[in-house]
Amino acid sequence: MTLTPQKLVLRSILAGVVLLGVMAACVWIGSQDVSLADVLKGPGGEGSPNIQYIIFMQERLPRICLAAIVGAALACAGVVFQAILRNPLADPYILGVSSGAGLGSIVAVLFSGTVIYGRIAGHFGWIAEATGMSSLMIMAFVGAMLTVWLVWVIGRVTGRTHVTGLLLAGVVVNAFFSALIMFLLSIARARQLQSTMFWLMGHMMLPENPLMVWFSGGVVLLGILCLLMLGNSLNILSFGSDDAQSLGVPVKRTCFLAFACAALITSVAVSLSGLIGFVGLIVPHAVRLVVGPDHRLLIPLSAIAGAAFLVVADTIARVVIAPAILPVGVITALVGGPFFLILLIRYTKNIQWGST
Amino acid sequence: MRLIEFDKVSFGYEQVPILKDLTLSVQANSFWAIIGPNGSGKSTFLSLLSGHIKPQQGTVCVDQQMITAMNTAQRAQKISLVRQEFIPVFGYSVFQTVMMARYARQSKRLFENAADREAVRAALEATDTLTFAERPLGHLSGGERQRVFIARALAQETPILLLDEPTSHLDLKHQIKIFDLLKQMQTQQGKTILLVTHDINLAVQYCDRVLLLGSDETFFEGPPEQILDSGRIESIFGVQGYQGRIQKEKFFVPLGKFSKDRPG
Repeated sequence: MTLTPQKLVLRSILAGVVLLGVMAACVWIGSQDVSLADVLKGPGGEGSPNIQYIIFMQERLPRICLAAIVGAALACAGVVFQAILRNPLADPYILGVSSGAGLGSIVAVLFSGTVIYGRIAGHFGWIAEATGMSSLMIMAFVGAMLTVWLVWVIGRVTGRTHVTGLLLAGVVVNAFFSALIMFLLSIARARQLQSTMFWLMGHMMLPENPLMVWFSGGVVLLGILCLLMLGNSLNILSFGSDDAQSLGVPVKRTCFLAFACAALITSVAVSLSGLIGFVGLIVPHAVRLVVGPDHRLLIPLSAIAGAAFLVVADTIARVVIAPAILPVGVITALVGGPFFLILLIRYTKNIQWGST
Repeated sequence: MRLIEFDKVSFGYEQVPILKDLTLSVQANSFWAIIGPNGSGKSTFLSLLSGHIKPQQGTVCVDQQMITAMNTAQRAQKISLVRQEFIPVFGYSVFQTVMMARYARQSKRLFENAADREAVRAALEATDTLTFAERPLGHLSGGERQRVFIARALAQETPILLLDEPTSHLDLKHQIKIFDLLKQMQTQQGKTILLVTHDINLAVQYCDRVLLLGSDETFFEGPPEQILDSGRIESIFGVQGYQGRIQKEKFFVPLGKFSKDRPG
């Protein structure tokens, strides 16, 4: 059975329609009743603003879009890391993105009042303006990218194409930075502590600026398209770098490109929402069980499935203890775990536990 | 026609020299066995030829072109490689696995075309693997899987085929099947085959030339009849044994201290 362009496009469109359906359904669910008729009335006049319209346009819609962006990025990055590390246990955080972003955001929270921080932030204010991201998000992003770069450099020392070195470097850097995070948390004040803890648990933040949704959505979409173009190479890389090289894949360049794109979209996701676990590990496996291991199909479908999954999880997080909101990371693990087990049992004949 | 030429090639890891001043040429459409004790440089020889590693001295040429001067895609159109028994992490089907051989010819395309599909089908047919084309690799027996990897090498449509101990995990019947298949590739498709093996007797039966590597950077090269005599095997491998002749060809049975027919 070969993958034709028609088949890829058809399945992606089908999955995309399902995703839009899920988003359209979830946008009406929440602690406040909002109806289409209310929204269609428009923003309302000067003295009597239409509350429903404001909730819909400024909270529900951007939040659902962000959840979709983050879910797509995490699931897609999970697929790619599992492929280039040839490790089914890999997730988007395995090479230090999580601890790096965590460190960046905590530094932002702890030092946001200081003069030096203010001065530096002043210099880079144009970034915040251009992207619509808050300084905390930018710091998380910078932390994530710097850490991944560090892991890549350390991993390279142990061998150009040995993924074990990369994995070990990721684990050690993650552990070291986690210790730094603990240290900073233990000297933080209570007020600062709460916002950081929420971030570490994975929490959709409402965008203050709609620009942020467009910007992050664009970056993630671009990253996913780049990774899709590497689909064939990623298939072959699953057979190891020796095989890949003898089949004509430029291993070094492909690994670097895939790694950079996956790290970039993960960093964007993490800076938007904090650490949401499970999506990047479970969704790739679930989609692989259903559609098989071909990365040309796996990448777009995982992105779409990840988006739908996180939209649903975030909706549950919004309503389950309404009007308060649960961290969405709690829901992804609670919902994702059993869901994955069902898939595992249902499709167990498709699984092959290979050796590396 | 000289297809492959090694000219005074030396290679070693750290302080340990492995190959030194290796010079030889491989005629097109020949079947070579590379034999030697562990650590004598058999796999290193293959890696030098496939361009995975660069010689520290000397040059390796294929079709009068230095292998190190080619890029990955160019090399992949000259040389294909079959490794020891191996199962990938994810469950690709036989068809998907063999289709990967077409990468070097389609690297700018994301999808395979009719020519790719035809090449894959022909390779599956030649290796007798077409019947389980849709099954995942992990669900096959070792012999079937190894035939799939040979099919992949065929679909790559390279003049040169390298194999690193392709039969080491297989039972007798499947070993013979693989050697028969390779001989068929040589005679019917004009492939040049270089195969690393520990099986001296199969090498004698099937190969035209032998490269015998010693652990001390020595090497012997020539027809199996000439190279594989018992005295040389005993000194290079450090074992004693019995050499006889079936009809035309020699065979060698290694014998140890506790063998029933122990030497001396």
